[in-house]
Amino acid sequence: MSAITAVGLRKTFRSGDEEVEAVRGVDLDVASGEVFGFLGPNGAGKSTTVRMLTTLMTLGGGEAHVGGVDVAADPHGARRKIGVALQEAGLDPRQTGREILTLQARLFGMSVPEASKRAQELLELVDLLDAADRRVKGYSGGMKRRLDLASALVHEPEVLFLDEPTTGLDPASRITVWEEVRRINELGTTVFLTTQYLEEADQLCNRLAIIDEGRIIREGTPAALKQELRDRLGLDADPTLDDVFLDATGRTRSRVAGEVKEI
Amino acid sequence: MTTLTPSRHRSLPGGRRGPSGAIRDSLVLGGRAIREAIRTPDSLFPTMFIPLFFLVVNVGQAARIFPSEGTPFLEGQNYGAFQLPASLLLSASFGGAALYLVEEIEEGYFDKLRATPISRMALVLGRLYAEFVKTTVVGTVMVLLALLFGIHVESGILGFVVMIVMVALWAMVFSGFMQLIAIKTRSAAATQGASMIFFPLLFLTPNFVPRDQLTRPMEIAATINPVTYVMEAARSLILEGFDGAALAKGFAVVAVTMVVMLGLSIRMVNSYD
Repeated sequence: MSAITAVGLRKTFRSGDEEVEAVRGVDLDVASGEVFGFLGPNGAGKSTTVRMLTTLMTLGGGEAHVGGVDVAADPHGARRKIGVALQEAGLDPRQTGREILTLQARLFGMSVPEASKRAQELLELVDLLDAADRRVKGYSGGMKRRLDLASALVHEPEVLFLDEPTTGLDPASRITVWEEVRRINELGTTVFLTTQYLEEADQLCNRLAIIDEGRIIREGTPAALKQELRDRLGLDADPTLDDVFLDATGRTRSRVAGEVKEI
Repeated sequence: MTTLTPSRHRSLPGGRRGPSGAIRDSLVLGGRAIREAIRTPDSLFPTMFIPLFFLVVNVGQAARIFPSEGTPFLEGQNYGAFQLPASLLLSASFGGAALYLVEEIEEGYFDKLRATPISRMALVLGRLYAEFVKTTVVGTVMVLLALLFGIHVESGILGFVVMIVMVALWAMVFSGFMQLIAIKTRSAAATQGASMIFFPLLFLTPNFVPRDQLTRPMEIAATINPVTYVMEAARSLILEGFDGAALAKGFAVVAVTMVVMLGLSIRMVNSYD
């Protein structure tokens, strides 16, 4: 059963007289229970795709279903199925961690006692009990990210969207988030994860897709993608996911005649 | 970290649709905005201090020109009673809700709220509800302070309540239009700049003398300006008692501008990408 499907997803932005095609016909099929990685360089269309799938942006074309709900026809229904933790944890700095989680639970329809109980569970889950009643403006980057993750889980969503969940975190905090993502997935939640960190995708994802210039250019399990590259290039050893990414996006040293490009 | 309850993919009644859902969601979000205001008293302080400052300065400068006795439009009260509605409306025209909203947009929390199954209207109404509550509190304190200086509300306690409700509704309207600018521009600088609209709205009014004593160009400007009618309605409650015609005009302005503001807000928040 599919948790996420997208067919011919498109989005075009206008900037003055100029039109920029950010997403140019993306097809996706993410199975229920998967951790699906969505990789790509900056500006490739990752976040735009996520914003369309999470109802935060209207679809420019194509169709998408999340948890079996058509996101364009029934965005309200889709929002009940998904949890969203976006790039740069968006949190209200004037509230405490507990208040943010309680509010989020209330917005998903829980009564005050239910919301308080759920907030307590989640604070324990992400190890923020000690800081629960402190205002968020005093939290570290890692604490904010964990709180953001917890707030995406208040209603135990079928599908969790994580947009670059570890960007800017120190290695220890990053590993903590990875552990939590695994644990959430083990509890039955499908995870759709965008990242620029290939190690993260390798560690966490059952399958992944690489997007560049608005189109998906590779899709498969990390092992299958590496094997395909090894076979195609006749390599002696297994390539890394970095090699797959560089090959797929054309950002190879050989391709740019010795010039090393930043990814 | 601790692993807790297994995922049950709860089916919650969250974000009930229809008017009752919108009201419930607005009250939840409004409660948060009120808590935010209590925690940032520095942002609330100017909404009381600046209007009171203008009140004291204006009365200090013009009270001898308009003595109680011999100035018919004061109805036997001091000039402060005539000026008080302008100060109340100034207090209601800071657009604080919009400044908080644009901050939320810039920091990403607005998207977090948009991803929940709440009424889109609640995203707008929550902060406006808080604005109503804040203006009610600040307006009440200002009137109570004015009482200490010999001003009285001719229409009594009921008139006082009607006046505060009208001014608080106007605060919702003004902040609602500022929120539209915040949502459209997503820029704190643009929103802050747009809030300067309160200058012409508040000063192209009969704020120093009644409309029929203004110069002709100012009288025309004041007649066109919708704030004039809210000010005159509030003033009638302080100086004269219940004047049905003045109140009808004041509430009509609030109602019409509220409907326009809400209509535009629904359209804008639904098409927000």
